[in-house]
Amino acid sequence: MSRATPATVAAAATGTALAQADADGLNATLHWSQELLDQEAHRADTSQRSGGTGLKLYGMPVAVKDNIVTTEQPTTCASRMLEGYVSPYNATAVDRLRAAGALVACKTNLDEFAMGSSTEHSAFGRVKHPLDHARVPGGSSGGSAALVAAGVVPAALGSETGGSVRQPASFCGVVGLKPSYGRVSRYGLVAFGSSLDSIAIFAQSVGEAGKVLSAISGHDTRDSTSAAAPAMGRPDAWTDLSGIRIGVPKEYMPADLHPGVRAGVDRAVDALRELGAEVVEVSLPHTKYAVPTYYIIAPAEASANLARYDGVRYGKREVGPEGDVRALYQATRGSGFGAEVKRRILVGTYVLSAGYYDAHYVKAQRVRALIADDFRQVFDNGIDLLFTPTTPTPAFRAGEKTEDPVAMYLADVFVCPANLAGTPAMSLPIGRSEGLPIGGQFMAPYFRDSRMLSTAAVLEGLLDGTAEVR
Amino acid sequence: MSIGREQVEKVAKLAAIAVDDAELEPLVAQLSRIVDYVEQLNEVSTPEGTEGFHPGPETLPLREDVVRRFVPGNPLDAMAPEFEGGLFLVPVRGTMAEE
Repeated sequence: MSRATPATVAAAATGTALAQADADGLNATLHWSQELLDQEAHRADTSQRSGGTGLKLYGMPVAVKDNIVTTEQPTTCASRMLEGYVSPYNATAVDRLRAAGALVACKTNLDEFAMGSSTEHSAFGRVKHPLDHARVPGGSSGGSAALVAAGVVPAALGSETGGSVRQPASFCGVVGLKPSYGRVSRYGLVAFGSSLDSIAIFAQSVGEAGKVLSAISGHDTRDSTSAAAPAMGRPDAWTDLSGIRIGVPKEYMPADLHPGVRAGVDRAVDALRELGAEVVEVSLPHTKYAVPTYYIIAPAEASANLARYDGVRYGKREVGPEGDVRALYQATRGSGFGAEVKRRILVGTYVLSAGYYDAHYVKAQRVRALIADDFRQVFDNGIDLLFTPTTPTPAFRAGEKTEDPVAMYLADVFVCPANLAGTPAMSLPIGRSEGLPIGGQFMAPYFRDSRMLSTAAVLEGLLDGTAEVR
Repeated sequence: MSIGREQVEKVAKLAAIAVDDAELEPLVAQLSRIVDYVEQLNEVSTPEGTEGFHPGPETLPLREDVVRRFVPGNPLDAMAPEFEGGLFLVPVRGTMAEE
Protein backbone atom coordinates (compact mmCIF):
# COMPACT_ATOMS: atom_id res chain seq x y z
CA MET A 1 0.00 0.00 0.00
CA SER A 2 1.53 3.32 -1.06
CA ARG A 3 2.01 6.07 1.51
CA ALA A 4 0.17 9.33 1.42
CA THR A 5 2.25 12.25 0.26
CA PRO A 6 1.43 15.96 0.32
CA ALA A 7 0.59 15.69 -3.37
CA THR A 8 -1.79 12.74 -2.98
CA VAL A 9 -3.46 14.42 0.00
CA ALA A 10 -3.87 17.61 -2.05
CA ALA A 11 -5.32 15.62 -4.95
CA ALA A 12 -7.91 13.97 -2.70
CA ALA A 13 -8.86 17.23 -1.00
CA THR A 14 -9.14 19.03 -4.32
CA GLY A 15 -11.44 16.35 -5.70
CA THR A 16 -13.70 16.73 -2.69
CA ALA A 17 -13.71 20.51 -3.04
CA LEU A 18 -14.42 20.38 -6.78
CA ALA A 19 -17.31 17.99 -6.21
CA GLN A 20 -18.70 20.36 -3.58
CA ALA A 21 -18.33 23.36 -5.92
CA ASP A 22 -20.26 21.44 -8.58
CA ALA A 23 -22.95 20.49 -6.05
CA ASP A 24 -23.20 24.14 -4.98
CA GLY A 25 -24.01 25.04 -8.59
CA LEU A 26 -21.06 27.35 -9.29
CA ASN A 27 -20.68 25.83 -12.78
CA ALA A 28 -17.04 26.90 -12.64
CA THR A 29 -15.55 23.69 -14.06
CA LEU A 30 -15.87 22.07 -17.47
CA HIS A 31 -13.66 19.00 -17.00
CA TRP A 32 -12.13 17.25 -14.03
CA SER A 33 -11.84 13.78 -12.54
CA GLN A 34 -10.40 12.24 -9.41
CA GLU A 35 -8.50 9.79 -11.59
CA LEU A 36 -6.69 12.60 -13.41
CA LEU A 37 -6.01 14.40 -10.11
CA ASP A 38 -4.41 11.23 -8.75
CA GLN A 39 -2.31 10.94 -11.91
CA GLU A 40 -1.14 14.53 -11.42
CA ALA A 41 -0.11 13.71 -7.84
CA HIS A 42 1.76 10.62 -9.00
CA ARG A 43 3.58 12.69 -11.63
CA ALA A 44 4.56 15.32 -9.04
CA ASP A 45 5.82 12.67 -6.62
CA THR A 46 7.83 10.96 -9.35
CA SER A 47 9.46 14.31 -10.23
CA GLN A 48 10.32 14.94 -6.64
CA ARG A 49 11.77 11.50 -6.09
CA SER A 50 13.93 11.70 -9.20
CA GLY A 51 15.96 14.61 -7.90
CA GLY A 52 13.45 17.43 -8.16
CA THR A 53 14.20 18.91 -4.77
CA GLY A 54 12.79 22.32 -4.15
CA LEU A 55 9.98 22.01 -6.71
CA LYS A 56 8.54 25.50 -6.36
CA LEU A 57 4.88 24.48 -6.56
CA TYR A 58 5.06 20.88 -5.33
CA GLY A 59 1.55 19.59 -4.57
CA MET A 60 -0.20 22.88 -5.38
CA PRO A 61 -3.48 22.28 -7.24
CA VAL A 62 -3.86 24.85 -10.02
CA ALA A 63 -7.01 25.19 -12.11
CA VAL A 64 -6.54 25.96 -15.82
CA LYS A 65 -8.87 28.03 -17.98
CA ASP A 66 -10.34 25.96 -20.78
CA ASN A 67 -8.70 27.98 -23.55
CA ILE A 68 -5.27 26.71 -22.51
CA VAL A 69 -4.62 23.37 -24.17
CA THR A 70 -4.00 20.08 -22.40
CA THR A 71 -3.60 16.59 -23.83
CA GLU A 72 -5.37 14.72 -21.06
CA GLN A 73 -8.49 16.85 -20.80
CA PRO A 74 -10.57 18.43 -23.55
CA THR A 75 -10.14 22.09 -24.50
CA THR A 76 -13.45 23.53 -25.57
CA CYS A 77 -13.00 27.30 -25.09
CA ALA A 78 -16.58 26.99 -23.74
CA SER A 79 -17.78 26.71 -27.33
CA ARG A 80 -19.89 24.17 -29.22
CA MET A 81 -17.31 24.64 -31.99
CA LEU A 82 -14.72 22.71 -29.94
CA GLU A 83 -16.96 20.46 -27.89
CA GLY A 84 -14.97 17.29 -27.16
CA TYR A 85 -11.77 18.54 -28.81
CA VAL A 86 -8.57 17.17 -27.25
CA SER A 87 -5.33 18.91 -28.10
CA PRO A 88 -2.28 17.01 -29.44
CA TYR A 89 0.02 19.07 -27.22
CA ASN A 90 0.16 20.82 -23.86
CA ALA A 91 0.58 24.55 -23.42
CA THR A 92 4.06 25.57 -22.28
CA ALA A 93 2.54 27.12 -19.15
CA VAL A 94 0.95 23.76 -18.29
CA ASP A 95 4.23 21.90 -18.86
CA ARG A 96 6.01 24.39 -16.59
CA LEU A 97 3.37 24.11 -13.86
CA ARG A 98 3.93 20.34 -13.87
CA ALA A 99 7.72 20.72 -13.99
CA ALA A 100 7.39 22.81 -10.81
CA GLY A 101 5.38 20.03 -9.14
CA ALA A 102 1.91 21.59 -9.42
CA LEU A 103 -1.20 19.50 -10.05
CA VAL A 104 -3.45 20.52 -12.95
CA ALA A 105 -6.72 20.38 -11.03
CA CYS A 106 -9.36 20.93 -13.71
CA LYS A 107 -10.34 22.98 -16.76
CA THR A 108 -12.46 25.99 -15.92
CA ASN A 109 -15.47 27.63 -17.53
CA LEU A 110 -15.13 30.92 -19.40
CA ASP A 111 -16.87 33.26 -21.79
CA GLU A 112 -16.76 31.55 -25.19
CA PHE A 113 -13.32 31.96 -26.79
CA ALA A 114 -12.48 34.40 -23.97
CA MET A 115 -14.89 36.99 -25.37
CA GLY A 116 -16.84 38.52 -22.54
CA SER A 117 -16.74 40.26 -19.17
CA SER A 118 -19.16 38.21 -17.12
CA THR A 119 -18.81 34.49 -18.03
CA GLU A 120 -22.43 34.59 -19.19
CA HIS A 121 -21.43 33.79 -22.78
CA SER A 122 -20.29 30.20 -22.20
CA ALA A 123 -22.03 27.58 -24.33
CA PHE A 124 -22.16 25.47 -21.15
CA GLY A 125 -23.98 27.86 -18.85
CA ARG A 126 -22.94 30.86 -16.82
CA VAL A 127 -20.64 30.78 -13.82
CA LYS A 128 -22.06 32.04 -10.53
CA HIS A 129 -20.36 34.45 -8.15
CA PRO A 130 -19.34 32.44 -5.06
CA LEU A 131 -20.61 35.10 -2.63
CA ASP A 132 -23.88 35.87 -4.45
CA HIS A 133 -25.15 33.42 -7.03
CA ALA A 134 -27.37 36.07 -8.60
CA ARG A 135 -24.27 38.00 -9.64
CA VAL A 136 -21.56 37.41 -12.18
CA PRO A 137 -17.98 36.52 -11.22
CA GLY A 138 -16.70 38.70 -14.04
CA GLY A 139 -15.08 37.42 -17.20
CA SER A 140 -13.91 36.01 -19.32
CA SER A 141 -11.93 33.94 -16.77
CA GLY A 142 -14.90 33.66 -14.40
CA GLY A 143 -14.54 29.95 -13.69
CA SER A 144 -10.93 30.27 -12.56
CA ALA A 145 -11.76 33.34 -10.43
CA ALA A 146 -14.71 31.61 -8.77
CA LEU A 147 -12.72 28.51 -7.82
CA VAL A 148 -9.93 30.52 -6.19
CA ALA A 149 -12.43 32.79 -4.41
CA ALA A 150 -14.36 29.76 -3.15
CA GLY A 151 -11.17 28.27 -1.73
CA VAL A 152 -11.33 25.21 -3.99
CA VAL A 153 -7.80 25.81 -5.35
CA PRO A 154 -5.11 28.24 -4.18
CA ALA A 155 -4.28 29.38 -7.69
CA ALA A 156 -5.54 29.23 -11.25
CA LEU A 157 -4.46 30.17 -14.73
CA GLY A 158 -6.64 32.46 -16.74
CA SER A 159 -6.02 34.58 -19.80
CA GLU A 160 -6.28 38.25 -20.56
CA THR A 161 -6.92 40.07 -23.79
CA GLY A 162 -8.77 43.05 -22.27
CA GLY A 163 -8.64 42.54 -18.51
CA SER A 164 -10.17 39.07 -18.27
CA VAL A 165 -8.25 38.11 -15.13
CA ARG A 166 -8.01 41.41 -13.25
CA GLN A 167 -11.69 42.25 -13.66
CA PRO A 168 -13.01 38.91 -12.32
CA ALA A 169 -10.31 38.97 -9.62
CA SER A 170 -11.68 42.33 -8.48
CA PHE A 171 -15.29 41.09 -8.59
CA CYS A 172 -14.47 37.90 -6.66
CA GLY A 173 -12.03 39.31 -4.10
CA VAL A 174 -8.83 37.53 -5.12
CA VAL A 175 -5.48 38.52 -6.60
CA GLY A 176 -5.31 38.73 -10.41
CA LEU A 177 -1.95 39.19 -12.12
CA LYS A 178 -1.38 40.04 -15.79
CA PRO A 179 2.33 39.77 -16.59
CA SER A 180 4.15 41.94 -19.10
CA TYR A 181 3.30 40.93 -22.66
CA GLY A 182 5.87 38.35 -23.77
CA ARG A 183 6.85 37.26 -20.26
CA VAL A 184 4.75 34.08 -20.30
CA SER A 185 4.68 31.91 -23.43
CA ARG A 186 1.44 32.00 -25.42
CA TYR A 187 2.20 28.57 -26.93
CA GLY A 188 -0.94 26.60 -26.20
CA LEU A 189 -3.15 29.59 -25.39
CA VAL A 190 -5.95 29.51 -27.95
CA ALA A 191 -5.50 32.74 -29.86
CA PHE A 192 -8.08 35.52 -29.63
CA GLY A 193 -6.17 38.81 -30.08
CA SER A 194 -2.54 37.93 -30.55
CA SER A 195 -1.08 41.38 -29.79
CA LEU A 196 -3.13 41.53 -26.58
CA ASP A 197 -3.34 37.93 -25.28
CA SER A 198 -1.51 36.89 -22.14
CA ILE A 199 -1.77 33.92 -19.83
CA ALA A 200 -2.44 35.39 -16.39
CA ILE A 201 -2.75 34.20 -12.81
CA PHE A 202 -5.32 34.12 -10.01
CA ALA A 203 -4.21 33.45 -6.46
CA GLN A 204 -5.32 33.91 -2.88
CA SER A 205 -2.31 36.07 -2.12
CA VAL A 206 0.22 38.26 -3.88
CA GLY A 207 3.00 35.90 -2.79
CA GLU A 208 1.35 32.88 -4.37
CA ALA A 209 0.71 34.78 -7.59
CA GLY A 210 4.41 35.66 -7.71
CA LYS A 211 5.41 32.02 -7.13
CA VAL A 212 3.24 30.82 -10.01
CA LEU A 213 4.61 33.55 -12.29
CA SER A 214 8.17 32.54 -11.41
CA ALA A 215 7.33 28.97 -12.41
CA ILE A 216 5.63 29.64 -15.74
CA SER A 217 7.53 32.68 -17.05
CA GLY A 218 10.63 32.73 -19.25
CA HIS A 219 11.56 32.58 -22.91
CA ASP A 220 9.96 29.92 -25.09
CA THR A 221 11.26 29.26 -28.61
CA ARG A 222 7.80 28.08 -29.62
CA ASP A 223 6.27 31.55 -29.10
CA SER A 224 7.64 34.10 -31.54
CA THR A 225 6.59 36.99 -29.28
CA SER A 226 8.26 35.54 -26.18
CA ALA A 227 10.75 37.96 -24.63
CA ALA A 228 14.38 36.84 -24.49
CA ALA A 229 14.49 36.72 -20.71
CA PRO A 230 14.71 33.92 -18.17
CA ALA A 231 11.95 33.10 -15.70
CA MET A 232 11.16 35.90 -13.28
CA GLY A 233 12.94 35.42 -9.97
CA ARG A 234 11.25 35.64 -6.61
CA PRO A 235 10.16 39.26 -5.95
CA ASP A 236 12.04 41.07 -3.20
CA ALA A 237 10.31 41.16 0.17
CA TRP A 238 10.01 44.76 1.36
CA THR A 239 8.95 46.06 4.75
CA ASP A 240 7.70 49.45 3.59
CA LEU A 241 7.35 51.63 0.50
CA SER A 242 9.80 54.43 1.31
CA GLY A 243 11.14 55.94 -1.89
CA ILE A 244 8.34 54.54 -4.05
CA ARG A 245 6.44 57.13 -6.10
CA ILE A 246 2.89 56.11 -7.02
CA GLY A 247 0.65 57.93 -9.48
CA VAL A 248 -3.16 57.90 -9.41
CA PRO A 249 -4.42 58.88 -12.88
CA LYS A 250 -7.27 61.35 -12.58
CA GLU A 251 -9.04 59.72 -15.55
CA TYR A 252 -9.57 56.60 -13.42
CA MET A 253 -11.38 58.52 -10.66
CA PRO A 254 -14.41 60.00 -12.49
CA ALA A 255 -17.07 61.88 -10.56
CA ASP A 256 -19.60 59.10 -11.08
CA LEU A 257 -17.34 56.31 -9.77
CA HIS A 258 -19.26 53.86 -7.56
CA PRO A 259 -19.03 55.27 -4.00
CA GLY A 260 -17.89 51.95 -2.54
CA VAL A 261 -15.10 51.67 -5.10
CA ARG A 262 -14.03 55.27 -4.39
CA ALA A 263 -14.01 54.60 -0.64
CA GLY A 264 -11.90 51.47 -1.18
CA VAL A 265 -9.37 53.29 -3.33
CA ASP A 266 -9.16 56.23 -0.91
CA ARG A 267 -8.51 53.83 1.97
CA ALA A 268 -5.82 52.02 -0.02
CA VAL A 269 -4.13 55.30 -0.96
CA ASP A 270 -4.07 56.26 2.74
CA ALA A 271 -2.43 52.91 3.46
CA LEU A 272 0.17 53.43 0.73
CA ARG A 273 1.08 56.78 2.28
CA GLU A 274 1.21 55.24 5.73
CA LEU A 275 3.71 52.72 4.31
CA GLY A 276 5.95 55.55 3.13
CA ALA A 277 5.01 55.86 -0.54
CA GLU A 278 4.61 59.25 -2.16
CA VAL A 279 1.22 59.28 -3.91
CA VAL A 280 0.48 61.97 -6.50
CA GLU A 281 -2.16 62.67 -9.10
CA VAL A 282 -1.09 62.09 -12.71
CA SER A 283 -2.83 62.08 -16.07
CA LEU A 284 -3.20 59.48 -18.84
CA PRO A 285 -5.08 61.74 -21.23
CA HIS A 286 -6.12 59.14 -23.83
CA THR A 287 -7.70 56.75 -21.31
CA LYS A 288 -11.27 57.36 -22.55
CA TYR A 289 -10.29 56.04 -25.98
CA ALA A 290 -8.94 52.72 -24.69
CA VAL A 291 -12.21 50.78 -24.85
CA PRO A 292 -13.16 51.88 -28.39
CA THR A 293 -9.56 51.25 -29.51
CA TYR A 294 -9.67 47.79 -27.96
CA TYR A 295 -13.02 47.00 -29.60
CA ILE A 296 -11.56 47.63 -33.01
CA ILE A 297 -8.19 45.88 -32.61
CA ALA A 298 -9.34 42.83 -30.61
CA PRO A 299 -12.23 41.89 -32.93
CA ALA A 300 -10.00 42.50 -35.98
CA GLU A 301 -7.40 40.07 -34.64
CA ALA A 302 -10.14 37.67 -33.56
CA SER A 303 -11.64 37.60 -37.04
CA ALA A 304 -8.27 36.35 -38.32
CA ASN A 305 -7.55 33.97 -35.44
CA LEU A 306 -10.98 32.33 -35.50
CA ALA A 307 -10.93 31.80 -39.28
CA ARG A 308 -9.35 28.41 -38.58
CA TYR A 309 -12.65 27.06 -37.21
CA ASP A 310 -14.09 25.88 -40.48
CA GLY A 311 -15.19 22.30 -39.83
CA VAL A 312 -12.39 20.77 -41.92
CA ARG A 313 -9.58 19.53 -39.65
CA TYR A 314 -11.09 19.54 -36.15
CA GLY A 315 -14.03 20.78 -34.16
CA LYS A 316 -17.67 20.90 -35.11
CA ARG A 317 -18.76 20.28 -38.69
CA GLU A 318 -22.17 21.28 -39.94
CA VAL A 319 -22.74 20.18 -43.51
CA GLY A 320 -25.76 22.39 -44.14
CA PRO A 321 -27.81 22.56 -47.31
CA GLU A 322 -26.38 21.64 -50.69
CA GLY A 323 -23.72 24.04 -51.80
CA ASP A 324 -19.99 24.48 -52.22
CA VAL A 325 -17.31 24.19 -49.55
CA ARG A 326 -18.05 27.77 -48.55
CA ALA A 327 -21.50 26.57 -47.52
CA LEU A 328 -19.76 24.08 -45.22
CA TYR A 329 -17.77 26.91 -43.63
CA GLN A 330 -20.83 29.15 -43.25
CA ALA A 331 -23.06 26.47 -41.75
CA THR A 332 -20.34 25.25 -39.36
CA ARG A 333 -19.43 28.73 -38.15
CA GLY A 334 -23.04 29.87 -38.03
CA SER A 335 -24.05 27.04 -35.71
CA GLY A 336 -20.78 26.50 -33.84
CA PHE A 337 -20.18 30.03 -32.56
CA GLY A 338 -22.32 31.79 -29.98
CA ALA A 339 -23.82 35.26 -30.40
CA GLU A 340 -21.02 37.31 -28.81
CA VAL A 341 -18.29 35.53 -30.77
CA LYS A 342 -20.21 36.07 -34.01
CA ARG A 343 -20.68 39.76 -33.17
CA ARG A 344 -16.97 40.25 -32.59
CA ILE A 345 -15.92 38.36 -35.71
CA LEU A 346 -18.34 40.45 -37.77
CA VAL A 347 -17.10 43.72 -36.23
CA GLY A 348 -13.52 42.61 -36.87
CA THR A 349 -14.25 41.66 -40.46
CA TYR A 350 -15.99 44.99 -41.02
CA VAL A 351 -13.13 47.14 -39.67
CA LEU A 352 -10.63 45.23 -41.81
CA SER A 353 -12.72 45.35 -44.99
CA ALA A 354 -12.05 47.53 -48.02
CA GLY A 355 -13.24 51.06 -47.52
CA TYR A 356 -13.17 50.84 -43.72
CA TYR A 357 -9.65 49.59 -42.99
CA ASP A 358 -7.96 53.00 -42.83
CA ALA A 359 -10.81 54.73 -41.04
CA HIS A 360 -11.10 52.11 -38.32
CA TYR A 361 -8.21 49.65 -38.03
CA VAL A 362 -5.32 51.94 -38.96
CA LYS A 363 -6.85 54.71 -36.84
CA ALA A 364 -7.13 52.40 -33.84
CA GLN A 365 -3.50 51.30 -34.19
CA ARG A 366 -2.41 54.95 -34.09
CA VAL A 367 -4.56 55.72 -31.04
CA ARG A 368 -3.13 52.61 -29.40
CA ALA A 369 0.31 54.17 -29.81
CA LEU A 370 -0.92 57.31 -28.04
CA ILE A 371 -2.32 55.25 -25.15
CA ALA A 372 0.99 53.38 -24.80
CA ASP A 373 2.84 56.69 -24.92
CA ASP A 374 0.73 58.06 -22.04
CA PHE A 375 2.10 55.25 -19.85
CA ARG A 376 5.66 55.74 -21.09
CA GLN A 377 5.61 59.46 -20.36
CA VAL A 378 4.30 59.01 -16.83
CA PHE A 379 6.86 56.32 -16.00
CA ASP A 380 9.69 58.31 -17.60
CA ASN A 381 8.76 61.26 -15.37
CA GLY A 382 9.61 59.54 -12.10
CA ILE A 383 6.49 57.53 -11.35
CA ASP A 384 7.33 53.97 -10.26
CA LEU A 385 3.82 52.52 -10.34
CA LEU A 386 0.24 53.55 -11.00
CA PHE A 387 -2.63 52.76 -8.63
CA THR A 388 -6.29 52.80 -9.71
CA PRO A 389 -9.60 51.06 -9.09
CA THR A 390 -9.72 47.82 -11.08
CA THR A 391 -13.38 48.11 -12.04
CA PRO A 392 -15.87 51.00 -11.95
CA THR A 393 -18.36 48.95 -9.89
CA PRO A 394 -18.48 45.77 -7.82
CA ALA A 395 -19.89 42.63 -9.45
CA PHE A 396 -23.15 43.30 -11.29
CA ARG A 397 -26.21 41.05 -11.48
CA ALA A 398 -26.50 38.33 -14.09
CA GLY A 399 -28.48 39.53 -17.10
CA GLU A 400 -27.93 43.18 -16.27
CA LYS A 401 -25.67 43.94 -19.26
CA THR A 402 -26.35 41.15 -21.75
CA GLU A 403 -28.82 43.15 -23.87
CA ASP A 404 -26.39 45.98 -24.70
CA PRO A 405 -22.94 44.84 -25.85
CA VAL A 406 -21.42 48.30 -25.31
CA ALA A 407 -22.63 48.41 -21.68
CA MET A 408 -20.78 45.13 -21.12
CA TYR A 409 -17.65 46.44 -22.84
CA LEU A 410 -17.53 49.43 -20.48
CA ALA A 411 -16.94 47.06 -17.54
CA ASP A 412 -13.36 46.86 -18.84
CA VAL A 413 -12.71 50.61 -18.92
CA PHE A 414 -9.92 50.53 -16.29
CA VAL A 415 -8.31 47.23 -17.26
CA CYS A 416 -7.98 47.21 -21.05
CA PRO A 417 -5.39 50.06 -21.26
CA ALA A 418 -2.69 47.80 -19.79
CA ASN A 419 -3.39 45.16 -22.44
CA LEU A 420 -3.12 47.77 -25.19
CA ALA A 421 0.20 49.00 -23.77
CA GLY A 422 1.56 45.54 -22.87
CA THR A 423 2.42 46.68 -19.35
CA PRO A 424 2.18 44.42 -16.30
CA ALA A 425 -0.84 44.99 -14.09
CA MET A 426 -2.51 43.33 -11.16
CA SER A 427 -5.55 43.57 -8.93
CA LEU A 428 -5.73 42.83 -5.24
CA PRO A 429 -8.66 42.99 -2.83
CA ILE A 430 -8.88 46.37 -1.07
CA GLY A 431 -12.18 46.04 0.73
CA ARG A 432 -15.88 45.30 0.35
CA SER A 433 -18.94 47.37 -0.36
CA GLU A 434 -22.21 45.88 0.95
CA GLY A 435 -20.44 42.56 1.08
CA LEU A 436 -19.14 42.68 -2.50
CA PRO A 437 -15.37 42.69 -3.14
CA ILE A 438 -13.56 45.72 -4.55
CA GLY A 439 -10.21 45.54 -6.29
CA GLY A 440 -7.33 48.00 -6.47
CA GLN A 441 -5.04 47.86 -9.48
CA PHE A 442 -1.32 48.42 -9.82
CA MET A 443 0.27 49.03 -13.22
CA ALA A 444 4.02 49.08 -13.74
CA PRO A 445 6.51 49.86 -16.50
CA TYR A 446 7.13 47.11 -19.03
CA PHE A 447 8.94 44.15 -17.47
CA ARG A 448 8.89 45.62 -13.94
CA ASP A 449 6.54 42.85 -12.77
CA SER A 450 8.73 42.03 -9.82
CA ARG A 451 8.67 45.55 -8.36
CA MET A 452 4.90 45.65 -8.81
CA LEU A 453 4.56 42.39 -6.86
CA SER A 454 6.86 43.59 -4.08
CA THR A 455 4.79 46.77 -3.69
CA ALA A 456 1.46 44.95 -3.77
CA ALA A 457 2.65 42.48 -1.12
CA VAL A 458 3.46 45.31 1.27
CA LEU A 459 0.02 46.87 0.78
CA GLU A 460 -1.62 43.47 1.20
CA GLY A 461 0.18 43.05 4.51
CA LEU A 462 -1.35 46.22 5.95
CA LEU A 463 -4.79 46.32 4.36
CA ASP A 464 -7.63 43.94 5.31
CA GLY A 465 -9.01 43.22 1.85
CA THR A 466 -12.31 41.93 3.28
CA ALA A 467 -13.15 44.98 5.41
CA GLU A 468 -16.36 46.88 4.65
CA VAL A 469 -15.38 50.28 3.32
CA ARG A 470 -18.85 51.58 2.52
CA MET B 1 -27.87 53.64 -38.32
CA SER B 2 -24.24 53.59 -39.33
CA ILE B 3 -24.23 50.03 -40.65
CA GLY B 4 -27.15 48.70 -42.66
CA ARG B 5 -28.61 45.30 -43.39
CA GLU B 6 -26.85 44.96 -46.72
CA GLN B 7 -23.47 45.69 -45.15
CA VAL B 8 -24.04 43.15 -42.40
CA GLU B 9 -24.98 40.52 -44.98
CA LYS B 10 -21.83 41.33 -46.96
CA VAL B 11 -19.62 41.16 -43.87
CA ALA B 12 -21.22 37.87 -42.82
CA LYS B 13 -20.38 36.46 -46.24
CA LEU B 14 -16.76 37.68 -45.94
CA ALA B 15 -16.54 36.09 -42.49
CA ALA B 16 -18.16 32.87 -43.78
CA ILE B 17 -20.79 32.89 -41.05
CA ALA B 18 -24.36 31.91 -41.90
CA VAL B 19 -26.80 34.39 -40.40
CA ASP B 20 -30.49 33.58 -40.64
CA ASP B 21 -33.29 36.15 -40.89
CA ALA B 22 -34.14 35.89 -37.19
CA GLU B 23 -30.59 36.81 -36.25
CA LEU B 24 -30.11 39.51 -38.85
CA GLU B 25 -32.25 42.38 -37.51
CA PRO B 26 -30.89 42.31 -33.96
CA LEU B 27 -27.38 41.93 -35.37
CA VAL B 28 -27.79 45.04 -37.52
CA ALA B 29 -28.84 47.02 -34.43
CA GLN B 30 -26.03 45.63 -32.25
CA LEU B 31 -23.29 46.11 -34.84
CA SER B 32 -24.51 49.65 -35.51
CA ARG B 33 -24.32 50.37 -31.80
CA ILE B 34 -20.76 49.07 -31.64
CA VAL B 35 -19.61 50.89 -34.77
CA ASP B 36 -21.22 54.14 -33.58
CA TYR B 37 -19.40 53.72 -30.26
CA VAL B 38 -15.93 53.12 -31.73
CA GLU B 39 -16.25 56.03 -34.13
CA GLN B 40 -15.43 58.38 -31.25
CA LEU B 41 -11.80 57.69 -32.18
CA ASN B 42 -12.32 60.29 -34.91
CA GLU B 43 -12.05 62.89 -32.11
CA VAL B 44 -8.34 62.04 -31.73
CA SER B 45 -5.76 63.71 -33.91
CA THR B 46 -3.46 61.13 -35.50
CA PRO B 47 -1.60 62.76 -38.40
CA GLU B 48 -0.72 60.77 -41.49
CA GLY B 49 2.45 58.81 -40.86
CA THR B 50 1.78 58.22 -37.16
CA GLU B 51 3.10 54.76 -36.37
CA GLY B 52 1.05 52.03 -34.74
CA PHE B 53 2.17 50.15 -31.65
CA HIS B 54 2.83 46.51 -30.86
CA PRO B 55 3.66 45.60 -27.26
CA GLY B 56 6.48 43.38 -26.18
CA PRO B 57 10.23 43.41 -26.58
CA GLU B 58 11.74 45.71 -29.20
CA THR B 59 13.63 42.89 -30.86
CA LEU B 60 12.40 39.34 -30.97
CA PRO B 61 14.97 36.59 -30.59
CA LEU B 62 15.30 34.10 -33.43
CA ARG B 63 15.45 30.45 -32.57
CA GLU B 64 18.05 28.07 -33.92
CA ASP B 65 17.14 27.02 -37.48
CA VAL B 66 16.90 23.35 -36.68
CA VAL B 67 14.17 21.00 -37.82
CA ARG B 68 12.45 19.37 -34.87
CA ARG B 69 9.96 16.55 -35.07
CA PHE B 70 6.59 17.21 -33.48
CA VAL B 71 5.32 14.15 -31.65
CA PRO B 72 1.61 14.62 -30.98
CA GLY B 73 0.28 13.65 -27.57
CA ASN B 74 -2.97 12.59 -29.22
CA PRO B 75 -3.38 11.41 -32.83
CA LEU B 76 -4.03 14.35 -35.15
CA ASP B 77 -6.75 12.53 -37.03
CA ALA B 78 -8.69 11.56 -33.90
CA MET B 79 -10.51 14.87 -33.78
CA ALA B 80 -11.02 15.29 -37.52
CA PRO B 81 -14.64 15.12 -38.70
CA GLU B 82 -13.52 12.85 -41.56
CA PHE B 83 -10.02 11.54 -42.18
CA GLU B 84 -8.68 8.84 -44.46
CA GLY B 85 -5.32 7.94 -45.94
CA GLY B 86 -3.58 10.92 -44.42
CA LEU B 87 -6.13 13.35 -45.84
CA PHE B 88 -8.81 15.49 -44.20
CA LEU B 89 -12.00 14.85 -46.16
CA VAL B 90 -14.66 17.43 -46.99
CA PRO B 91 -17.96 16.83 -48.78
CA VAL B 92 -17.68 16.91 -52.56
CA ARG B 93 -19.55 19.98 -53.59
CA GLY B 94 -18.13 21.02 -56.91
CA THR B 95 -16.21 24.24 -57.39
CA MET B 96 -16.38 27.35 -55.20
CA ALA B 97 -19.23 29.48 -56.51
CA GLU B 98 -18.21 32.80 -58.02
CA GLU B 99 -19.05 35.76 -55.81
